[in-house]
Amino acid sequence: MARKLLFLLLALTSCSKGPEADLQYISEARSLAAEWALVNEQAAQGHLTAAYAQTMRASIRDQLQSSAKSLTQPKAPYAAEIGAILSAPDDAPPATLRAHASNLKRIEDQLESD
Amino acid sequence: MNPIELTLGIMTAVGGFVDISQLVFAAQAGSMFGFALISAFAFSTLGIIVFGEMSGRVAAVARQPVFNLIRHRLGLKLGLVTLAASLLSTLITCAAEIGGIALILRYLTGAPYLLMAVVGTFVLFASMWVLPFKWIERSYGLLGLFMLVFVAALLAIHPPWGKLAHGFVVAVPPDLSPKRLLTYLYFVVAIFSAVMFPYEAYFYSSGGIEEGWRPKDLLTNRVTSIVGMALGTLLSIAILADSAVLFRPLDVGPHIPGSAALEAAMPFGKLGLLLALAGMFFAVAGAAIETCMANAYSVSQFFGWDWGRHKKPWEAPRFTIAWIALLLLALLIVLTDVDVMSLVEYAVLFSIIVLPLTYLPLMLLADDKSYMGQYANKWLAKGLGWFFFVVVTVTALAALPLYFLTSGGQG
Repeated sequence: MARKLLFLLLALTSCSKGPEADLQYISEARSLAAEWALVNEQAAQGHLTAAYAQTMRASIRDQLQSSAKSLTQPKAPYAAEIGAILSAPDDAPPATLRAHASNLKRIEDQLESD
Repeated sequence: MNPIELTLGIMTAVGGFVDISQLVFAAQAGSMFGFALISAFAFSTLGIIVFGEMSGRVAAVARQPVFNLIRHRLGLKLGLVTLAASLLSTLITCAAEIGGIALILRYLTGAPYLLMAVVGTFVLFASMWVLPFKWIERSYGLLGLFMLVFVAALLAIHPPWGKLAHGFVVAVPPDLSPKRLLTYLYFVVAIFSAVMFPYEAYFYSSGGIEEGWRPKDLLTNRVTSIVGMALGTLLSIAILADSAVLFRPLDVGPHIPGSAALEAAMPFGKLGLLLALAGMFFAVAGAAIETCMANAYSVSQFFGWDWGRHKKPWEAPRFTIAWIALLLLALLIVLTDVDVMSLVEYAVLFSIIVLPLTYLPLMLLADDKSYMGQYANKWLAKGLGWFFFVVVTVTALAALPLYFLTSGGQG
């Protein structure tokens, strides 16, 4: 019984495709963009060391790349939005990054309500 | 009572509570659910205080560390299963801590991650080889207190104290969608597991024996387990509350272990950032040493080898080889470039499954008057102990389904 339940859970979590399956990556990318904006804002105010800011940006970029690669719909509008974040320079203005995060949030809310 | 004796409890708390998984889950919990999960920390802390005090008492009275009990109480076969599961879960935890150390050193220096993993492991090796047990606990335990900067940050940002206090009340936040409710429950389980990591009991009881505890030290045991664990929780709750105030309004869900340091940088600038990173380094390094030694203690006690850092390394050769091999194995896992966050999730997941098998023999022995005499569990310790044992078992059963249903807390 327990084994059957485990298989069912695995099937439920691994077989789904489409925008709904991408929701977790959209949410992750949205949150990473917001975090990147915060890092750049704090760096601009002189609150961070150069090593910390650079390492955080590199880690955020790595995770964004991983989220982008995990998408099952690479041609969807949210994929383009994530691509746009990835193409931003390291010291992108916080407002630009937050705008991308807001766009992703809008898409996320829309998909969740469908 | 000598105040310096409190350091064993402080190190276990700082290194055990605020290890890499606590940093991650506390910051994420605050960002996702505000102050609501403070109660999960407070509740789990009561649990680890109960079992921590019990394991120290058994060590002082029966002179039995936890893994001795496991073999005698569960028998050889089930004992071996417990040993294997515990070794695996604690090894993964140790690898996660070494990965965390490498990341923190990278935040401090900007040097490559894998190089920092090797450097960090060498620092751990040198500390464990050169320093006597007392000095390991004192140095990492006390330097880990730099993390008090998170408490100072909380005072500086003026949180809504009423709402924060309300977070101590166990209650599910209203209006959660079914999906968010599952994520909330996953976080409850993850926090419970991370606070009650089994290695803490192995390390704490073995440490008591290393320090030569006797029944006269039971007051020290009680005070260190309560004060030390409470301090650990205070730090975790501060990280959670800072995140609820600073990250949640900006929609930042910290996905990287270093994000927590931003909580100190925002009110205090570079000084706050550096203090936070230093505190995180010593706390995570302390946890790495605890996990590595806990594994070596477990193997040595199970097979009846000579063990202990109070002996010279060559006086307990199999114990020495065990901790060196386990440290290198953990480093090898990190050198495969596996994601630290994944290691943290696996560590929490495996640990919760091992927890019931860890705490059952401890409960049985602490209840047994033929071993413990007048120091056997009284009604309060017995009641709380069995209550938390049931909670631990239910949590262990729920962990795997919740992990899959929420994609590891991602929703």
